[in-house]
Amino acid sequence: MKDSLYTVFYAAALGIVCSLLLTAVAVFTKPYRLNNAKAEKTLNILEVLAVPFGENATPQELEKAFDENVKHQKDGTLEMYGYLQPGTTNVFKTLAFPFAGPGLWGPVKGFLSMKNDLKTIQSISFYEHEETPGLGGEITADWFRNQFKGKSIIGPDGKPGIKIVQNGASKSNEVDAISGATLTSQKVERMLNSVIKQINKNGK
Amino acid sequence: MENNKQHCGLCKPEGLFEGKGKITLKDGIWENNPISIQILGVCSALAVTNRLENSLVMGAALIFVCIGTNLFVSLLRNVTPRRIRMIAEVAIIATFVILFDQFLKAFYWDMSKRLGPYVGLIITNCIVMGRAEAFALQNRPMVSILDGAANGIGYAIVLAIIGFSRELLGTGNIMGFTILSDTWYTPNQLMVLAPGAFIALGFLIAVFNAIKGPEEESAS
Repeated sequence: MKDSLYTVFYAAALGIVCSLLLTAVAVFTKPYRLNNAKAEKTLNILEVLAVPFGENATPQELEKAFDENVKHQKDGTLEMYGYLQPGTTNVFKTLAFPFAGPGLWGPVKGFLSMKNDLKTIQSISFYEHEETPGLGGEITADWFRNQFKGKSIIGPDGKPGIKIVQNGASKSNEVDAISGATLTSQKVERMLNSVIKQINKNGK
Repeated sequence: MENNKQHCGLCKPEGLFEGKGKITLKDGIWENNPISIQILGVCSALAVTNRLENSLVMGAALIFVCIGTNLFVSLLRNVTPRRIRMIAEVAIIATFVILFDQFLKAFYWDMSKRLGPYVGLIITNCIVMGRAEAFALQNRPMVSILDGAANGIGYAIVLAIIGFSRELLGTGNIMGFTILSDTWYTPNQLMVLAPGAFIALGFLIAVFNAIKGPEEESAS
């Protein structure tokens, strides 16, 4: 009995010491981590909009490029980042729309950017995900993301939506899924289509 | 023997880096290297070694975690209830790993992104728990630190060699500097990909074993 009590006491004490230590570190590093996450998001928006910025740009330089070129606005529930035509305040070269949804292991967040016709995909990026490295994690790989470039968000049948297919992409709105990551592919397709539906509605 | 002891007031006491300490150090780095001899921690050794910089940071992470874990497991070795010693070890390991991960995320964001989940996976690295169980539980704190450092360094050296050869052969560069000019060297993409890691590690283990000589079969 005395032994068990000691064991429980020891485990609790060790747990408390470890968690206190980790809490302290988490609090201490929080501002730095938030800054990094914000810079990562900015970098993603600039990349997906094809806004030029220097290689190895510092977070401050990214922020500057963002402020000079990008306009953030909300149209109902649809959030949008537009790459301004130089010298204008409401003519956009490309437009980026944030999307998010559940992945296999955790939330997936990213941006879908469109050419200014709002029908052709410019690019796609993911800035937050916890998918399995090598499988679902391949959504951030160039080969997967590059497939989307130039694809139409309207199918040959006139219906809006992009399809992530398993048996070889052939149509103008199809891309290849990731082998070994069927669930991630399906979930990404779902979150993309929910934003595409809104883009299509607003684009008309 | 007795005589010797009496004279010990005159001679220097045994230092940390002599006797047992020296053996511990040599054991971890060379004689019983965690990767090339014990073939532990191979998963991370294959996964993050496509660039030298990644390998060095991963090596540093393991040195830090091994030293910290061995120190605390050793300090607590006489008060830890035997029944929950492994849980206690994992808690200590996890604390040090998360600590390192948080610092990477805060101050070395690019590296944190490149290493991805592999820093967190150090928690499950057999080397760390193996050393805690096999060494720190039976030894004093100072020599346990030495053992943790030695095994961490042994791991780091192997990773650095693999990282160096993979980056050099796979891209022609080292840490961003061009070593093999692409005018006469075509980078071998295979070395950057996963199979290249297996090939590099295989050669490395072969070379280590060739230098060390044939292993003595233990009588069974």
